Amino acid sequence: MKGGAFFENIRMSLRSIAANAVRSFLTALGVMIGTGAVIAMLALGAGAQKSVEASLQSLGSNLLLVYSGQPRGGSLVRRSTTNIVPTLSAEDLEAVRNLGPHLVELAAPESSSGGQAKFAAVNMPVTIVGTGIRYPEIRNVHPILGSFFTEQEADSRKTSVVIGHQVYQELFGGAGDPVGQKIRLNGLGYRVAGVMEPKGSSVTDSSVFIPISTFQRYVSGNPKYALINVRAASAGIMRQAQGAIEKEILRLHRLPNLDAADFYVANQLDLLDTLQGVAGTFTLLLGGIAAISLLVGGIGIMNIMLVSVTERTREIGVRMALGAKSGDIIAQFMTEAIILSVAGGLIGIALGFGASWAFSRFGGLASQVTPLSVALSFGFSVLIGLFFGGYPAYIASRMDPIQALRYE
Amino acid sequence: MIGVTNLSRHYRMGPTTVKALDSVTFGIQSGEFVAIVGPSGSGKTTLMNILGCLDSPTGGSYILAGEETASLTSDKRAEIRGRRIGFVFQNFNLLPRENSLENVELPMIYQGIPSRVRKERARDMLRKVGLEGRERHVPSELSGGQRQRVAIARALAGDPAIILADEPTGALDTRTGGEIMELFHSLNRDGTTLILVTHDPLIARRARRVIQIQDGKILADVPSGEWTP
Repeated sequence: MKGGAFFENIRMSLRSIAANAVRSFLTALGVMIGTGAVIAMLALGAGAQKSVEASLQSLGSNLLLVYSGQPRGGSLVRRSTTNIVPTLSAEDLEAVRNLGPHLVELAAPESSSGGQAKFAAVNMPVTIVGTGIRYPEIRNVHPILGSFFTEQEADSRKTSVVIGHQVYQELFGGAGDPVGQKIRLNGLGYRVAGVMEPKGSSVTDSSVFIPISTFQRYVSGNPKYALINVRAASAGIMRQAQGAIEKEILRLHRLPNLDAADFYVANQLDLLDTLQGVAGTFTLLLGGIAAISLLVGGIGIMNIMLVSVTERTREIGVRMALGAKSGDIIAQFMTEAIILSVAGGLIGIALGFGASWAFSRFGGLASQVTPLSVALSFGFSVLIGLFFGGYPAYIASRMDPIQALRYE
Repeated sequence: MIGVTNLSRHYRMGPTTVKALDSVTFGIQSGEFVAIVGPSGSGKTTLMNILGCLDSPTGGSYILAGEETASLTSDKRAEIRGRRIGFVFQNFNLLPRENSLENVELPMIYQGIPSRVRKERARDMLRKVGLEGRERHVPSELSGGQRQRVAIARALAGDPAIILADEPTGALDTRTGGEIMELFHSLNRDGTTLILVTHDPLIARRARRVIQIQDGKILADVPSGEWTP
């Protein structure tokens, strides 16, 4: 194609698009919706991935969970420790702590059991969690009223309790300061030492926390722990810390290897991998469906371009008679198809941003438009113009000028 | 300007071969005004398509402005059409959405002539055919005669070796047709080589030389004054 003809093609394409404004709009609409859908769906996926990371961070950073029992598939975010037969001893906990500050920063035991909490005339089912004083730091959940129980209280089997936020809501109506009040857990009286911040997870919010020594004495009667919460010294040594913990407990339990172990270590990194894998699949699925709609939009362009080529057979014949080569004809129709798909793509990008905004504003979904998805879907819409405009343009360029001139 | 030697165009229709053109030979000099005349089915349209490089002959030779065109690719033929031939059609074949100026520019676009030169030349051509002031009119705003003048301006715009007019007065009333013939004569006096294809003996007689075609063969090739249909 010669230089001047490029702008001529754009001018003539715009004129032809304007002459069939409604039809052109409907044609581009397919690409608009497709591009918009790709951007919105990938935004949803990216948002999901972000919120997975955020919620994992909210569990506590550099978290390793040493569970009693055989490994279970998935090792999900927070398994209830209520139904686990505890196999971890105070000796194990001590050994984990003794791995040293370069591996293990903090460790806290945990066991739990279902129970009933009662204040005045109000009753509610709760999870009674027995744990150590480091629990709030490791699990990144802190008291908003009062304080967590102290080392003294923990050691002396004091009947102090820190209540979850939902328990606070139900027993105390969510108002006033309950610190110092007495509540009953399974009939036994406890002094409320603090109220935990709301975590949005029903497990934490509907739990009550008591010292592990008190739990062992009054609730379970079992000297072993269901779980040891560990905060590794840094993100970089989590696998190393996991290995050291496994080796140490295997030795203490006199076990040959992990296949025979009565405990297992869940690593936050594994959780992150798993959940991000899920979010990734989700993104791929949504994006794939959206890409199909973009493809359908492209087929719409091809359909209309074929109609347009047939309608303009005479025009093509005239152009050929006046010296247009097949390349000139191809360029003319491709220009038109690409203008349609690019215009559709640009409007679609705006639609995608709008949809993503609406998802987070009205749907309460985490949604974030990524630059990559914009580039990707825009590039795709250009390619669709090239690909689906190509066939009609080729058909036009292969016409016999004698036949085309005679076409009525 | 044109040298046609033993030119044939055969079509295969199943088992039989139709000889639309059967070994035709003639020459046309620069500056001539020739009418090719014959009834429908005589082969004149086939001859026009080949002279216009829209079609290729199956045999023989066709030399246009010193160039053999008998066996060229379709792109090469398109290039020769753009450079050497100006078409005028019975039904004008203007692009309906483009105004007069843009229609006249069209062949020059495909020759890669820059926009400014194109516009200037298109204006000149419109003036030449008597349409000054009609540059911005689209075809639907023009009369039949005016449309044909735009088409003639377009044919002239590419500075072709020959103008090939196919029944140029066929869609016009007698008076307007006469005006178009006048325009052709005036262009011819200025040196334009014209080939007019028609079935109408009265129109053919107004050219300076008549080539009469029948059954794919030349029946007569004489100055129009000596021609009796």
